[in-house]
Parts: sequence; structure tokens; C-alpha cells
Amino acid sequence: MKKSLWMLVMLLMTLALVLAACNSNEGNGETEENSNEGNNVESDADGESSDSITVAIEQDFISLDPHDVGDTVSIFGTRSMYEGLVGFDKNMEIQPVLAEDYEVNENSTEFTFKLRENVTFHDGEPFNAEAVKANFERIMNEELRSNRNLQYLENIEILGDYEIKFTLSQPFSAMLNKFAMILMASPEAFSNNPDDFALNPVGTGAFKFQEWKQGDSMVVAKNEDYWGDLGTNVQQVTFRPVPENGSRVAMLQTGEADFIYPVPHNNVEELESDENIVIEETPSTIARYVSINTKKEPFDDVKVRQAMNHAVDQEAFLAVVKSGYGEPLSSTMSSKTQHYAEQELYEANIEKAKELMAEAGYEDGFSAEIWGNTASETNTGMQFVQQQLAQIGIDLEVRSMEEATLSDSIYTPETAEETDLQMWYVSWSPSSGDADGATRSLFHNEFSPPEGANTAYYDNQQVSDWIDEANQTGDVEEQKEIYAQIQETVYSEAPWIFLGSDTILSGYSSSLEGVYVLPDGSVSIRNANLK
Amino acid sequence: MENKYVEMDLNEEINSDKTENRFLEFWKLFRRKKPALYSLYFILLLLVLVVAGQYITPFDHSEPNYSNILSSPSWPHVFGTDEYGRDVLSRVIAGTKIALTVSISAVLIGAIAGTILGLVSGFFGKWIDKAIMRFCDILFAFPDLILAIGIVAILGPGLQNVIIAIAFFSVPSFARIVRSSTLEVKELLFVESAKSMGASKRRIVFKHIFPETIPVIIVYFTMNVGTAILSAASLSFLGLGAELSSPDWGAMLSMGRDYIGTSFHIVFFPGLMIFLTVLAFNILGDGLRDVLDPKTRD
Repeated sequence: MKKSLWMLVMLLMTLALVLAACNSNEGNGETEENSNEGNNVESDADGESSDSITVAIEQDFISLDPHDVGDTVSIFGTRSMYEGLVGFDKNMEIQPVLAEDYEVNENSTEFTFKLRENVTFHDGEPFNAEAVKANFERIMNEELRSNRNLQYLENIEILGDYEIKFTLSQPFSAMLNKFAMILMASPEAFSNNPDDFALNPVGTGAFKFQEWKQGDSMVVAKNEDYWGDLGTNVQQVTFRPVPENGSRVAMLQTGEADFIYPVPHNNVEELESDENIVIEETPSTIARYVSINTKKEPFDDVKVRQAMNHAVDQEAFLAVVKSGYGEPLSSTMSSKTQHYAEQELYEANIEKAKELMAEAGYEDGFSAEIWGNTASETNTGMQFVQQQLAQIGIDLEVRSMEEATLSDSIYTPETAEETDLQMWYVSWSPSSGDADGATRSLFHNEFSPPEGANTAYYDNQQVSDWIDEANQTGDVEEQKEIYAQIQETVYSEAPWIFLGSDTILSGYSSSLEGVYVLPDGSVSIRNANLK
Repeated sequence: MENKYVEMDLNEEINSDKTENRFLEFWKLFRRKKPALYSLYFILLLLVLVVAGQYITPFDHSEPNYSNILSSPSWPHVFGTDEYGRDVLSRVIAGTKIALTVSISAVLIGAIAGTILGLVSGFFGKWIDKAIMRFCDILFAFPDLILAIGIVAILGPGLQNVIIAIAFFSVPSFARIVRSSTLEVKELLFVESAKSMGASKRRIVFKHIFPETIPVIIVYFTMNVGTAILSAASLSFLGLGAELSSPDWGAMLSMGRDYIGTSFHIVFFPGLMIFLTVLAFNILGDGLRDVLDPKTRD
């Protein structure tokens, strides 16, 4: 009798424990993803129609103002609703979109676009040369992020209702790629409601904005009044930020999500064995690195930065953090980027690293902070760097921050002296697909935060001059040579810890086609089709 | 003068005799509670691991080995290796120290504060009692973990703040339980007699009432340690407690959860340890309650 009572008590306690554990796990999920309400939205959406899809991505969009976004996720978020005069196809080749045709003069200073007629914005406003001009003027007058693409733009001339000419102050061959980065918004929307515009996008794309619950979901719906061939049979697409790798995979397996990016590499094998799931590998232009604030002690000593690079083993990084998918970062850009020039890798050599540290006067090492977002892979990666640098006496403190907080902490301070940033675990992919996009904003001395993404505060006048020079020449061979020089110099001065370049892994349900990830890591839903 | 000394000696002897008897009596009863006894052995084993853990772990718990990542349990890595090639067994053993020090010190702080509040509240009554009990009610109104998350959010993440947070939410349950036994003991004859002999209030509270509440405190202490381990692990899992690189059980679960589909063992063993430890403390607490505080049974 007594014994059975005990058994009962034990059983109950076990049950209580299991329940308690389950509860706290659920709690965790909610705080991390704020998915509480999201689940409701999800079930509603599912209930409404079966021809809607859910795309689960790693991060939330920071902004949906097409002229003021800098990160890949926000860029592809805006591209789902907006279009430019020209755009990229799957291989990142330039295609006309809102321009029917374009002409470039011989030395790349005059770009004339013939615009498509009968195009209207989602709010019913007409798309014409006036609207195009208003968009460019907004970017330049308000000095929004996209302004970095328009550095040489001197004059905009309306030639007719549907014809517009851009004149540059100097030859700039990559300008066409930059035009592809400028998306056209309804002038009515941004001039009437400048404060809310980022939250209420109005474009011309095949999908139009529905709602955005920050941290939870962004919904776009098919635009039945689209000017061209719709190319999609999907009524509604929901983007869901799901930082948890495990949750994203589970969502694909259970059908809660139809497309997930990125697929965690350690789950590839498991997912490939599921016949309802397709895994796609895409070589990428994504460079993964830790930027080092070169203006702060002790990082202002090039030897310290080189030592850090010798301490970090890129092959081990790929094995541990990327499950072997990806390749070492053998330059300042990935091998898939225009004008890539291979450099000799920093050999993983602790002795050499220690020697360099000693030469710099830091044989006993020092402590520093490394920042990164809250994604699980970032955490794994930061801890890897922590372990590697511990070998040469550098004591790293890992700090994970929400994407928006992180972005604020990095891009708010006006100068290198003001910022607290020491090291940032991050990646870069040139959304415009060209060497300029993979270089200028990262290494030009005029592009330190808040102006650009030179978070290493790297300042080498020679390199800045080269970057300007490369922009000015129309000759591709000459450009290639200049970029080779830039890569060699920057790589040897090590403003980053070079970690690797990604292989993009995306997964989707076999009933879906046409959603894909471009080499720059942006997701295109333009041709989404359900079978 | 001399006489007085003799008298005191005699007193002490009687006292120590009494405690010895009490302990023997306790042990005789407790020994029969097999599950509680085994739980006690398990906890003693954990304490051995806390003290001697660093000498008996097969590997350095923080030493990565990138050529042997995520290997399944096998010899010599009995619990397998994690995503950095670190030995999971060594990490679990190292984690014992963190789990027990955090939970025991947190509950100890909570118990001391709660006991004092409970004694004061029960003994003095009136507005002090009301004030303290309403304060406890307010704390009771929050779910423990939410309160802890709130406190850590204010103080900032880190094990030290986790200890403070857990101590904080342990206070009211100790205060309440000690208060109720104080109320009971206060009415007993020996307290009356001490009072009538002119003993000071402090003496009555600490010398006469407090010892009678010790059994209840021990029972609650043991049970709260179990909950505290779970809370500390949850906070670490959320990234609010131990650094994710440390071998804390919650942190190991947090780091390993991405690999749950492919390398089950890196979350299984820390999870199992949390489970067994919490279970052991709960069963031990139950057993102690049966023996020390038979009234509160059922």
C-alpha cells in the first residue's frame, strides 16, 4: 500500500516536472520569437485560402522604406513589393523592368530610360517620368541610405511623359547595377505620409503590401492589377522572422512554412531524406567576417589584426559553424563576386599569431567584446571566434543583441571615438552584385558609420582613391586591375577576421516552385507557384 | 559561582543528549523511506562531483577539438562530444558545480531573509505582520519565472543576478511557512514560561521559537533547491543566466538545441541531469517532510 502510494507520488512528480519543463520551453519560444499572436495570424491565413504561402526567414525586416534600407533582408522585403527601372534575374544579370528599354552613352555618363506605359502604383497613382524623378529627388534630398548609389548623379531630365535621362558627373560603369537598387515608390505615399511610409509600402510590384507586425510577420498579397504577366498563382505570401534554426526546420517539416531560408546545414541530411522537401544549394556572394574597429586600441595595430587572422582557422570555422558547407574567404569578397582576385589565406598558425602579438606588445593578450545578432548560428560562430582567440590570450566577451538594437548601437554613433563597437560578427553581400558594392561601402574612408558599412573604420587614403578611380573608368580590364590591388592591400591590412563565404541552403516544399534565393542571399517570391 | 558552572555543564549535556537522540530518531525513520534515501545518496554523489569534479573529469570541459565534433556517445567520450568537439560528460560534471552553487546559494539567501521575516511577522503580529504578509502576497501574485526574468532584465544577465532573482522569489514562501509555525509555537507552554521568566524578545524568538521551525525550513529548503535548479537552467536557456559558452546545463541545452535532430546526445545528457537532480531534491524533500513535519502530510 505504502509502496504504491510512493509510486503514485513519483509518477505525479515526474509528470509535473515534464509539464513544467514543457511550459518553460514554450515560454522560451514566445519570448524569443514573439510568436504568440503569430500563431493566430497563421491559422487565420490558412483558414482563408489554401493558395497562400509562408516564407520563414532568419531575421525581421528593419525597415520597408525602399530608399532607406541597407541590410539584405530588408532589401528583399522591399523587392517583394517594389520594382526598379531595371532589376536582376536569377543570375544577377540586369533586366529591364519598369523601363521598357534603356540607352547608355559610350563613356557611361548618360543613361536614358524609356518607361513602360500603363503602369500604376498600388494606390492607383500613375507611374511616369515625374514619379521617377520624385523618387530620385527624395533619396538625394533626404540623404537616405540609397543615396550611396547615387554619388555621381548630377542631373535628371524629363524628356517626355515616359522618357527620362540621368547625367552623371563622371563615368561610372557600375551605375546600371545601382539603378537596379533604386526601387520606385508612389510619390503620393511618401510625400503625404512621410512618417508612416516605411510601415505602409506602396509600389508597383506583383505583390502589394498587406500588413506588417514587427517581429512577427509581414504579409503581401497578389496585385491583380499588375501591369505585366503576373507569373504567380499565389494569393498571399507571409514572411515570418524565425531566428530559431530548429523552429524554422520544424515549420518546413510540418508544412507551416513552405519555404525556409537559411536551412541550417546540420539539418540538410535529415531534410533531404524527406521526399516532400527540396533542398537547394546556391553559391553565394556572402562574405562572413568579424569587422575590427581599426581606430580603437589595441586593434589599431595591424599586427594585432593579422595575429587574430592567424589564430582563426577558416577550415575549422566551416566545419564547426557551417557543417562543411561554404569555402574559405580568400579575399575581401566571395569568389562569386565581380572582379574577385584570390589572395593567399592567412595560415592558421598559433605560433605565428603569438609572435605577432608579442611584436605588437600584447604578449599577454587583452580583453575585448564581440557583438552579433541573436541568431543561433551567430552565437555558435561568435563562440568559435572566442575559443580561437583565447589561444593567443585574447579574452572575448560575447554579446548577442536584437537586430534593431545592434543596428542602432552601430549606426548611431557619429565617429569612431564615440562608438563602443570593437568587433562585429557579421556578413556582407553586395546586393547590386558588382565589385563596387562589395568594396566601397566597406572600405572607403567616407563610408564609416553612420554613412556606410565601413564598421572597421578602415581608413587608407590609397584604397579610397583606388575605389573612386575604379568607379570612374569605363574600361573593364582596368577596373579588374584596380580591384585586384584593393583586395590585396585590404586583405593584408586585415580590418576583418576573414571567416568564410557561404553556400546558400534553402528548403521548400515540393509543391512549391519559383521561389529562390539569389547569390546575394535575397529571397525572390516574384514567380512563386503552387503545383 | 562554582555551582553555576556545574549547572550549565549539566544543562549542555542534557541538550546534546537530546539532539543526538533526536537525530537518531530521525535517521531511524528516514532510513525506511527508500526513495528519499536513494535521492539523498544521489545528491551526495553530486556534492562529491562539485568538490572533486575537476579532478575526475576525463577531459577539459572547455577544450575544443574541431576534428571530432558531434560524435555520438562512445569510448572515450562516454556522453559524446558537442558542436565544438568538447566532451559532454566533462561538461555535465562541470555543470553540476554551477547548478548546485547557484541554486543552493540562492535558496539559502531566500531562506535566511524569509525566515527572519516570518519570525518577525509571526511573533510581533499586528501591523508588522500585515505589512510583511501583504508584501509576500504581492510577490506570490507573479509566476516565479516571470518575476525572475523581470529581475534579471533589470539587473542585467549573469549568474550573480540569477542568484538574486531566485533568492527574491523564494523569500515569500519561507516567510509564510515560518510565520505559521511561529504562530503555533508562540502559544506553547515553554514559550509562555520563558516569557514569564522575563526573557528578552530577541531571546524568545531566536533561542526558543526559531529552533522549533528548523524542521519545516529544512523541508522547504530541500524542495526549493529543486525548483531553483530548474529556474536557473531556464534563465540560462533564455540567455539571461550563465554565459552560453560555460558548461551550465541550461546553456548547454540552449546551444545544443539546433542539433537536436542530428545529435540528440548533446541536449539529452544535460537535460537528463536537470531532470534527475530536480527529481532527487523533490523526493528528498518529500521524505524529509514525512519524517520531520508529519502534520503537513496530505
